[in-house]
Amino acid sequence: MKTHTVDTTRWRFTNWIAGIIVTAALFVLPFILAKFGRTGEFWIWVTTEMIINALFALSLNLILGYGGMVSFGHAAFFGVGAYTVALLMKKAGVPLYLALLSAPFTAAIAAAVIGWFCVRLIGLYFAILTLAFGQLLYMVAFQWYTFTGGDDGIHGIPRPEFLGPVNYYLLCLIIFLACFLIMRMIVNSSFGLSIRTIRENMERAKFIGINVKRYQWINFIIAGAFAGLAGGLLTELNRFAQTEFLHWSKSAEPIFASLVGGMYSLVGPVIGSTLLMFLKIVLQQLHKSMVEMWAIILGLILLLVVLFAPGGLVGIFHRLLGKTES
Amino acid sequence: MSAEYYLFMLINGLSQGMLLFIVASGLSLVFGVLRVINFAHGSIYMIGAFVAYSLSTLLTGTSLASFLLLLLVVPPAIALLGFVLEVSLFRRVYREEHLLQLLLTYALVLILDNVVRMIWGGDPRNVARPEILAGSVDLMGMALPTYNVFILLVGPVIALGLWLLLYRTRAGNVIRAAVSYPDILGALGVNVSWVMTATFMLGCWLAGLGGVLVAALANVDLSIGMEKIIECFAVVVIGGLGSVGGALLGSLIIGVGITFFQLPFGRWALVFPYFVMALVLIIRPWGLFGRPER
Amino acid sequence: MKRNNLAVLIVVFCLILAGGMINSGEVAASETIRLGFVADISGVGATFYKGQKAAVDLFIEEANAAGGVLGKKLEVIVRDAQLKPDIGANMARELILSEKCDFLIGPTSSAVALAATKVAQEFKKIIYFHTSNTEALTTTDFQPYMFQVVPNTGEEGRGAALFMSQRPYKRYAYIGPDYAYGHDQFKAFKGELGKLKADAELQEIVWVKLGETNFSPYIPILMSKNPEAIFSSFWGGQLSSFVKQAKPYGVFNKAALYSLFDLDMLRVTGMDMPEGLLGYSRCPFYAIDNPEMKAFVKKYYEKNKEWPADWAAMAYDGLIALTDAIKKANSTDSDQVVKALEGLKFKSLRGERYIRPEDHMANVGIYVGVTAKNPDFKDFLVLKDVVEVPAEKILLSVEEVKKLQAEKK
Repeated sequence: MKTHTVDTTRWRFTNWIAGIIVTAALFVLPFILAKFGRTGEFWIWVTTEMIINALFALSLNLILGYGGMVSFGHAAFFGVGAYTVALLMKKAGVPLYLALLSAPFTAAIAAAVIGWFCVRLIGLYFAILTLAFGQLLYMVAFQWYTFTGGDDGIHGIPRPEFLGPVNYYLLCLIIFLACFLIMRMIVNSSFGLSIRTIRENMERAKFIGINVKRYQWINFIIAGAFAGLAGGLLTELNRFAQTEFLHWSKSAEPIFASLVGGMYSLVGPVIGSTLLMFLKIVLQQLHKSMVEMWAIILGLILLLVVLFAPGGLVGIFHRLLGKTES
Repeated sequence: MSAEYYLFMLINGLSQGMLLFIVASGLSLVFGVLRVINFAHGSIYMIGAFVAYSLSTLLTGTSLASFLLLLLVVPPAIALLGFVLEVSLFRRVYREEHLLQLLLTYALVLILDNVVRMIWGGDPRNVARPEILAGSVDLMGMALPTYNVFILLVGPVIALGLWLLLYRTRAGNVIRAAVSYPDILGALGVNVSWVMTATFMLGCWLAGLGGVLVAALANVDLSIGMEKIIECFAVVVIGGLGSVGGALLGSLIIGVGITFFQLPFGRWALVFPYFVMALVLIIRPWGLFGRPER
Repeated sequence: MKRNNLAVLIVVFCLILAGGMINSGEVAASETIRLGFVADISGVGATFYKGQKAAVDLFIEEANAAGGVLGKKLEVIVRDAQLKPDIGANMARELILSEKCDFLIGPTSSAVALAATKVAQEFKKIIYFHTSNTEALTTTDFQPYMFQVVPNTGEEGRGAALFMSQRPYKRYAYIGPDYAYGHDQFKAFKGELGKLKADAELQEIVWVKLGETNFSPYIPILMSKNPEAIFSSFWGGQLSSFVKQAKPYGVFNKAALYSLFDLDMLRVTGMDMPEGLLGYSRCPFYAIDNPEMKAFVKKYYEKNKEWPADWAAMAYDGLIALTDAIKKANSTDSDQVVKALEGLKFKSLRGERYIRPEDHMANVGIYVGVTAKNPDFKDFLVLKDVVEVPAEKILLSVEEVKKLQAEKK
């Protein structure tokens, strides 16, 4: 496996400034958009979804970029979180904050069970087993009509009065930023370093005494928990949960995001996810026929990225700046 | 339920398994030789079905001759498509990590599936069964569609053909060697890239054949590609990547399983293939007839 | 290095802002009445969509030629829900927020309808249902910003039990699509059959994914206990496919199939359709004899060179009711139109109908008949000896509806 420059653990002062500017801009954004009536509301909804998808992409990247493991079943945990919120709120009348707290919890349990089996395999077989489990959960959600509503999904999930579009956006933003900082902490901790060591050279990691399976398992669980939280947030945003949330094509979305944006940083998946979503919405707004074309365009973008720029956008920037991937 | 009815259901399930085998064997071979899991295999199968439909609209009548023409012409056309894909795209990623290969083939799925949508639209289509195959066969008082019996017979023919190819021809020997000893092959003076291309074309030929067969069995629409690839994955995992015999066994297990598991479990029977797939991966990841990955 | 990544992030979000501003500025909405059509265009719904759209277009053309509604022209904007509830909900939202639609036209799939009706409620925009018809829409999932001009699954399920129990069948089997529509029809059927014929045995119940095209794994199970009668909730392309594949399994030699034989399904199945099957239709133009229907059929045929399917006629009916209500309310404001809709009497293509105030359900019934060849139609069969089952016979009473509405969470 190619070695890649390990993420810097120290941010320069200018990065902090940039970060604060961006964060401030993000907080102000919904208020500006709210001035634009229905169009504004549409874009507030879109940007909220972008934030949630970015969180999902980040969660996968813990396994993919930092762990070096390809998981094609990550949507399973997204879906478990989604249905947790949906079922708790619609069928059990649980308030939102409790439901959102439960989502990463149930997703973590699912990730613990599934992950325990998956980390026993490596490489391609790991990927296929994650796909198999993902598909299994999808089919269970699909067939268990009385519990999950099957293909109908669960619709009409309540929304507390005070959480209008702007406030829900802010809630998601705050949760996202908190998760981002937590992930940064994890990635830069000794645990994170061990994970990256395992990615670079598993044999060596074993030699220096790292319990590879245990660390990968824990990483898997953490990633699953964040995915579950993202799923719960999306469920509340859309006010429905759907079996499509568990489909393997949903698992592909964060992989693309990390590929396009760059998988060896925390910002890469965020950029990739946002950019792809943005491109899709703008193209679709331009012309109705673009809805069909979007999938083809996405496929072509991916094709080009895989063939010519596997390091993603961030990798391109590195190269432009004269930094190569050693 | 009588014993005869169980037999009837068994035969029905086997015929479904045979169709799955024809398509899945292609995927298995491609993985065995090229070491690429081709997500787009389902899309290629779907293209075969739609091309068969389009060609059938040009032919008149429902004679056996026009149906045979479809069987003869469409799979090679799909193999040709495979040639184009292999030479232009797949060849570039053999040296890359599995992840990039998977993503390449998935990108291809997005492109191919939607090109199909653009050309043929969202309506379901089908090919009329030739008159001689459109009726029923009487099986101890129960009627089994002749066409299902036809597929049940085509399966073993293809299996036999593949076996002969792999074990009784020079080309087949080379392919098997490529599966088992890829590193040495180049040193033996074999044009390895030719072997890869030819195998990929064979895989697509099989997918195309499956497409023609299904177009007359049932309606085809935009969803059959994605559905099939997942089923093929299950087959190939259960049987072992690279093993045609394994693909046969896996397909039949799934085909018969889905039919019979409905009796006690109703629609939960559809979960069965993925359950077995996960089980095999946990207990014996390289499948029933596969070899442990080096 | 990080700095440049974040710079990209800033740029991206500025683009979003700019994008939002490009789209700003209200469309001259006061000049037109925009109808958002949450349609199921691709997949097994494809055949239905064509007729629905043609009828909607025809109505809009006629209305605009007559000066529009309240002086405003009508226009329709379409989005494809692909029979998927999540996409349908997002499309409904897009139509309301991004396309600024004033009213919504409903989909084919009942599952999409259940999703879309919630969005309609959230944004207080009226949606009407002309094809999707799960009873839940007017009971457990009722919300005031909707109305329905198509007979619902409860009526159909109960109607099926009514007719099938009149024949000497004892052993029944059921096969249907695994989503809201199938489940609701089945529930109504089972309940009513139990009431009408105590000794009826409902044996095999087979659920098949909506849109499934290959029935080989399912037909043997369906026939395994030798049913005499089969009630199926399949529709359109899926039903047609099922009928074609069931034939060589000898299904029609052994059992009678009762199902929804609407014009599109009959057209698609063509001459492969067995004769003598008892079935129902929702709005068979060839069996409805009144001047409005005759005029509509003539205009529709002239424009589209084919006969209007049930869905076309009902989509048209819905617009009759909607525009009547708008005129009566003298406004396009949703709350006022809703008030005008309740108890509204309108001249539908099926005759005089009215919209029940308690559940916004039009008193429309079903039409039951037997499949037969008809010299007027060369390429497909139609129903003969058609009997109209009036809504009053098979609709839930107002009390029962109110009880269900109170149950909703």
